[in-house]
Amino acid sequence: MRVWSKALIGGVAVALTVAGCAGSGSSSSSSGTTTAPPAGPRTITVWLMNGSAPTTLTDELNKEFQDSHKDVTVKYEIQQWNGIQDKLTTALASNNPPDVIEIGNTQAPKFASDGVLEDVTANVNDFNGANWLASLKASGQWDGKQYAVPFYAANREILYRKDLFEQAGITAPPTSRQEWLDAIGKLKAKFGSDPNFQALYLPGQNWYTLLSFIYDEGGDIAKQDGKKFTGSLETPEVKAALDFYKQLVDVSGTKAPKDADEQTPEQAGIFGQGKVAMMVALPWEVATAAKSDPTIKDKTSGFPIPSKTAGQTAPVFQGGSDLAIPGNSKNKDLAREYLKLITSDKYQAQFAKAGMIPGTSKDVSALQADPVNAAMAKASPNGKSTPATPGWATIEAGQNPIKDMLTAYLTGAKTFEQATKDADDALNKAFSS
Amino acid sequence: MTSTVDTARSAGTPPPAARPGVRRRARRSLSDLATPYLMLGPAVLVMLALLCWPAVQVLFISFRKLDLGELVRGEVKWVGFDNYKNVLTDPDFWVISLRTAVFTVVLVASTLLIGLGIAVLMRHLAGWVRVVLQVCLVLAWATPIVATTTIFQWMFDQNYGILNKTLVKLGFDSYQGYSWFSTGTSTLTVIGILIVWQAVPFIAFTLYAGLIGTPKDLYEAAAIDGANGWSAFRAVSWPSVRPLLMLTTFLSVLWDFRAFTQVWAIRQGGPDGKSTTLPVLLYLKGIAGSHFGVSAAVAVLMLVILVAVTWRYVRLLVRSPETEL
Amino acid sequence: MLRKSRAQRVVLTVFGLLVAAVFVFPVYWMFTTALKTPAQILSPDYDLIPLSATLKNFTNAITKPDFGTFLTNSLVVTLGAVACALLAGMLAAVPLARLRFRGRKGFILLVLVAQMAPLEALFVPMYLIMRDADLLNSLLGLGLVYVAFTLPFTVWTLRGFVKGIPVELEEAGMVDGCGRWGVFRRITFPLLGPGLVATSVFSFITAWNEFLYALVFMREKDKQTLPVWLSSFKTAFGTDWGGIMAASVIYAIPALIFFLLVQRKLVSGATAGAVKG
Repeated sequence: MRVWSKALIGGVAVALTVAGCAGSGSSSSSSGTTTAPPAGPRTITVWLMNGSAPTTLTDELNKEFQDSHKDVTVKYEIQQWNGIQDKLTTALASNNPPDVIEIGNTQAPKFASDGVLEDVTANVNDFNGANWLASLKASGQWDGKQYAVPFYAANREILYRKDLFEQAGITAPPTSRQEWLDAIGKLKAKFGSDPNFQALYLPGQNWYTLLSFIYDEGGDIAKQDGKKFTGSLETPEVKAALDFYKQLVDVSGTKAPKDADEQTPEQAGIFGQGKVAMMVALPWEVATAAKSDPTIKDKTSGFPIPSKTAGQTAPVFQGGSDLAIPGNSKNKDLAREYLKLITSDKYQAQFAKAGMIPGTSKDVSALQADPVNAAMAKASPNGKSTPATPGWATIEAGQNPIKDMLTAYLTGAKTFEQATKDADDALNKAFSS
Repeated sequence: MTSTVDTARSAGTPPPAARPGVRRRARRSLSDLATPYLMLGPAVLVMLALLCWPAVQVLFISFRKLDLGELVRGEVKWVGFDNYKNVLTDPDFWVISLRTAVFTVVLVASTLLIGLGIAVLMRHLAGWVRVVLQVCLVLAWATPIVATTTIFQWMFDQNYGILNKTLVKLGFDSYQGYSWFSTGTSTLTVIGILIVWQAVPFIAFTLYAGLIGTPKDLYEAAAIDGANGWSAFRAVSWPSVRPLLMLTTFLSVLWDFRAFTQVWAIRQGGPDGKSTTLPVLLYLKGIAGSHFGVSAAVAVLMLVILVAVTWRYVRLLVRSPETEL
Repeated sequence: MLRKSRAQRVVLTVFGLLVAAVFVFPVYWMFTTALKTPAQILSPDYDLIPLSATLKNFTNAITKPDFGTFLTNSLVVTLGAVACALLAGMLAAVPLARLRFRGRKGFILLVLVAQMAPLEALFVPMYLIMRDADLLNSLLGLGLVYVAFTLPFTVWTLRGFVKGIPVELEEAGMVDGCGRWGVFRRITFPLLGPGLVATSVFSFITAWNEFLYALVFMREKDKQTLPVWLSSFKTAFGTDWGGIMAASVIYAIPALIFFLLVQRKLVSGATAGAVKG
């Protein structure tokens, strides 16, 4: 035994020298000082996410960038959402990190607070700063400095079947909660005899919809005090929002699972079956639904989530992405210029055309052409993001207490007090870790 | 425990005849002395460099504060036992450890029982039925986990899952829209079925190989002695599968205790964190929360638990006369 | 085999087929789902037998860009890792089973304990090691990682098989003047067949399925493997069920082919052992 342990230690020592100073960290060139750009051909690596910027946009953008920068090649790589957290973490620690990255707005606070992104506060004006979307701007800020730049966003609206509405005698899209409930009633009266019909498809864990109701009641999921966040679900506002959610589920008789979100099963696929009159969704889910039934596209339109105040739209959760420059990037000068180009009106306009809300432009006129996109644009000025705390990343990575709270309350497994207290505790634990 | 612990004679080569006296101790040349080390060299090198060295680093990291910032900047901040204090003072850790232990025990027991049952069954089946069964087992085994987790979620889906639809058709109306993922226990049961389903084929094949390694005349002798099925099994098959059973138990404990992909993919440890096991905790603290120091502490504690649980068996393997020559 | 009555045999056959059905059902369901259109997948009723099948999911999956590259990378990494693990494993198993030397117990302990490390925890140090060894984004680096993951099991299992070969056979070979290498080639190696099959299947499935390390180590698209490709069917906006099922079926095929290729050896090797016993 003793002989062996000596041998093992010897072996480890050998491995130590072989592996060099592994674990002691990356190259020393991460100090962030800008040195003179090296001469000769250079490459700038850009990571955007699957399904974000349309190919037409990126093709044109990369071409323009290369044309205006002699000897520079843009290495454009599309990343998958699955496992992106792992991949970004390690890539940021590598010797040659990407120079421009896209990060989800709910992830951004963590990366910003850990100090691994380049501070771009001084460049805000170069990046069209006056026109930034408020919710995305907030997500990229930490401690008064700007670490991430808005890219694009989207928010949910209600997609509905025009033909079914017409047959049920609903003349105009609902503009208040009451009208929304009335519409559900009329649809059920007309089509209720079909056992597969659903006036509204609303799965139990569509927490984005709940957020909208909570904001509408004047509440929020967390209170901010300086850098400290505390869960604020045990409030009358959240109670009212949860009750309205439950009312919708009960009244509509939705067959959606109470223990899953809108992705399992994919709600657009079910909408595509033709037996669903409404769903709370993102504009491009129409296209997904059309995969099942191409005619559905022309029969579908959208209206903003109605507020409890008649005539207004409810505030919405805005999901989206930011752009950032990793602190270890060796081409920060190029990366800044790349960001300058992509945040210019020219390219931001293409986001609007593609049905997304541009992050650095207030011009959403291109969205008006399509009624589905117009409904999203109408609610977008009233958009909010999740609490800008690094702790949110843990929640985003998997265990979302708000989803659990919804299921527990809707199924009656927990009372309101118990469900919200458990969720608040879980939130606070995530915030403090 | 006995001393007959020869292991992994998996595919049926018969147990070696006892050779008490075969211990040659001839004079050895220098090259003879060097031979074993040269032959072990590649394996030792790879295992030391890519398993042990990272493991040692994990041990170091568990005494450091290593968040995303420190990792990217390459800073080394020692914090002593803070990470361990952090983990061990969290009451959730103890609940999760207990849950993981129970989960592992149930999984290992069911895998081995079903695996042994199928191995015995295979021995008694007619040729073509056995081949059909073997092909089905292989299909279950070789299908990627990414695919099987997806299909399980789909089969257990509340409204569209074939399970609930079938139960309703059979007249169990209460399963209309029944949620299999509403409690931790129920979620873990589904995950357990998934893991056992994919683990049984390996166990069954290994034990089957051990069973057919048993000489037939022993069975015939037992039959002549009037032994019926069960007592023949105990007298003849049991001794030959017993060491294999111990080895597969050992491996199953290791694999099931560390099962992550399936647990995470099905419900990310929910609802309310009630299906979180230790590997999920490790992932939540590490990648998800970017607290790699805390995550490393969890990893070290997991390793300590595993070594403690399997220590008797490992010691037996290292010391037993069977692993001697 | 023991004499059984006709009724007993019928019962056994039925029971055997039932067990087979239970085990194959999820795989079967995956396959039929892959043959369905999105509308059929979400329809309130279900058909156990797909009456109107579509191959669209399969053609969509195969024609996804870079499928060929991913497939080639996966095959290279997996087969390379299997070969190296077998070679290194066999080299280590023989002295472990046959020779006495200092440090033997230590090595056994190393092999046993090395299997216990939680792989999700190792990946940060592993990443740093690979980074400093300049093996990121290289098929060789990823292959080495898989060799390390499967080697302890391979060594341990093969050790058992080598021990199972009667020493007398090898000694007889020596007497016949085969020489050490000749004995290994003509006697030990063929008898190791079933063991090599068992461990190679294990290594193949482990390497073929691995996702996390493949995702993180292989940054460039032209170096990525099939598990990463499979994950692209899940986007932030939902899952393409039919697509992912079709892709899974395609993905499982090489593993099945590999198994079927070597499986005959397993059975024949096993029966050979039984006859000999």
